[in-house]
Amino acid sequence: MAVLDKMEAQLRPVETPMVPYPAKYITQASGEKLVVHQLSRDDVPHLLKAIQPLTTVEKDFYDVVACRVVSELVGWLRYRVKDEYCLLGTVNGEIVGMVNGRMLTEKIGMSYHTLAIRQGLRLGAQLFAAKMEYHMDFLKQDEVWVVAESPNGFKRWMIEYELEPRFEQWHELGGVPTYVLTRKLWEKHKAAKCGGRRPVPEELMAVAKQMILPSTYGQIPGYRREA
Amino acid sequence: MRGEQRLREVGIVGVGHPPFGKYEGSLMDMLCEAAVEALDDAGVKTGAGHGVDQVLVSTMGGSQVNRQTGVASALVDSLNLRPAMAETVENGPASGASAVKLGYMAIASGMCDVVLVVGGERMRVLSGWEATDFVATMLHPEAEYAYGLTLPSFAGMFTRLIMAKYGVTERDLAMVSVKNHENAMFNPSAHIQLVPNLEAITEDEDALTINPYVAEPLHLYDTCPVSDGAAAVVLCALDVRERFARRPIKIAGIGQATDTHVVAEREVPTDLLAVRLAAKRAYAMAGLEPQDIDVAELHDAFTILEVVESEEVGFFPRGEGHLAVRRGETRIGGRIPINTSGGLKAKGHPLGATGVSQIIELVKQLRGEAHGRQVKGAKAGLAVNFGGFGNNVVATILAGEEE
Amino acid sequence: MDREMVAYQCSRCGELHHPLHYVCRKCGGRDFAEVPLRGEATLLTWTKVYNLPEGYMKPFLGFGIVEFGNGLRVAGQLEVDQPECGMKVRAKVDVVREGIGQDYYGFIFIQKE
Repeated sequence: MAVLDKMEAQLRPVETPMVPYPAKYITQASGEKLVVHQLSRDDVPHLLKAIQPLTTVEKDFYDVVACRVVSELVGWLRYRVKDEYCLLGTVNGEIVGMVNGRMLTEKIGMSYHTLAIRQGLRLGAQLFAAKMEYHMDFLKQDEVWVVAESPNGFKRWMIEYELEPRFEQWHELGGVPTYVLTRKLWEKHKAAKCGGRRPVPEELMAVAKQMILPSTYGQIPGYRREA
Repeated sequence: MRGEQRLREVGIVGVGHPPFGKYEGSLMDMLCEAAVEALDDAGVKTGAGHGVDQVLVSTMGGSQVNRQTGVASALVDSLNLRPAMAETVENGPASGASAVKLGYMAIASGMCDVVLVVGGERMRVLSGWEATDFVATMLHPEAEYAYGLTLPSFAGMFTRLIMAKYGVTERDLAMVSVKNHENAMFNPSAHIQLVPNLEAITEDEDALTINPYVAEPLHLYDTCPVSDGAAAVVLCALDVRERFARRPIKIAGIGQATDTHVVAEREVPTDLLAVRLAAKRAYAMAGLEPQDIDVAELHDAFTILEVVESEEVGFFPRGEGHLAVRRGETRIGGRIPINTSGGLKAKGHPLGATGVSQIIELVKQLRGEAHGRQVKGAKAGLAVNFGGFGNNVVATILAGEEE
Repeated sequence: MDREMVAYQCSRCGELHHPLHYVCRKCGGRDFAEVPLRGEATLLTWTKVYNLPEGYMKPFLGFGIVEFGNGLRVAGQLEVDQPECGMKVRAKVDVVREGIGQDYYGFIFIQKE
């Protein structure tokens, strides 16, 4: 194992302790359970394998989102992003989507991305809600800064949560206009948007932790993961 | 309406129904695939001597969504069916059954022997909200569309009236949805291959998160998806049936009726008058009664429509359709199975293809080729294709011939 | 500017219409006079729609069908907190769809004071 030399130690961000996100499950229309749980840094290399195939899918801006998620996760893995977290969605142990973000300050959350890998069950919306839940209800922050990189995202977050435009504030993802989820908006929309039960039964949690890589992707016709 | 002179009888000798869902190619590719499948099924050889006299293409958005006009002429050329006559037919979501009706008329009149009808819609190029907007263009431009009113809006307001008057519940409607999704699992052409769990979408604490309201009191699982899809049938005069590989399924009756364009102007807001009149005319032409029908495809763009249509076509007394759902009478194996194909809810609703697709399901049932969803011994089937919010409805009755 | 919505009354038999038709539904007449359509109405049915068409930047919109005192039934937008079928509402006229260079005016049904 490489030695952590002084130079490397200087490069690493000073990390703020963050309350962990308690795992939850949401019963889907199919009767299956979506389990949302927080990943640790060690899980990143495995998760990257689930995301990488999407980095070339132009439709619905999957390429933009997947590429940036990969770089955000690698930045976290290699200690170049401060106070980042990642929540994973699994169904029957298979990875179906993820969300990530970080604490900008103690009071302000910086939402990064929402990536729905499995389509058709509105999983992205449920995962986004879990992310906002983490910022507002567990990290007890005052607000979360959000941007949308696809029309779908704009519709689901900006319009459906009535996010407050605050274009003068620059979001870390670049020049895309910043919108803000305030505590007031969260309290207004939480009931309709944020589902889930806790705790996750042990057996269900064990299955979720298998984090099985998807073998096919609806976004990539003909794709089949090599065994 | 019908004179003394006897019309020629018309049957269906070929069907083509590639899977509905998401299609990668062009509208024309999709139509051609369905057409070739139907021609092959009928045993019509493509190329010289094909014998197709007329081609009808039903599409609602060909021009508006896919920016192509003269679709039927283009299809004839792609399939090299020249010099067959060709027309594109647009009657909203009832375009498909309208095209079959016009094909029937072309043959019954003696003008043609063989007609190819192809319905298709390539909608997945649109976002959900663009698709909702496009479909809403069939509403009244000033009195409805300009307000932001849409088909789901009217379906929601209609549902509220029906619930108050007859005691239909959200759970009853969810049961319709689950039934249709179950049926679709036996239909390889269906768009959605997933059976929602009744408890999960109604009773579960998270039901509203995963099955949110779309237009109160209708939920996500009460509404059909946006689908790409094409479907084709070959019609022929029964007196030339020996030209074809398949036994014809007879078009026994067709009825059509219109209602007020503006939904608010309906005299009885809980009636679907055009459905009732269209079905009545189709029964009269076929010489059949509701109790003679063994299987039905009813236009369930919204679950509530299946319930009310099942009453308006005479399967159940008014206000009792939902009770029949509770008793399981509309399931396969029940008294009158409805939407064995999965219906629009689960099979998908590519507008211009839907009416043709419904008729194909009846053909499969009457041929005995519906596999896991077969209604045993089905002899007569009824399809209702519903345009606008019920302002233009076509009912079609097919009958299998005695062996 | 005050906008007004109108009903179209058949000059021959007096039958009211909204919107305008070319031919009277009752007597077949073709001439109509405009009469104001406003004031109190009864809410017959309503919905709240969450999947709005293109052009609306809102999470949902309310819609309703009402019956005016003269018997005419029309659909419009609904801005009432807790709608109930049978309740009395007031019909105001306002922008119902914003267009580029042209806004569309129509009925918005609101709480009766």
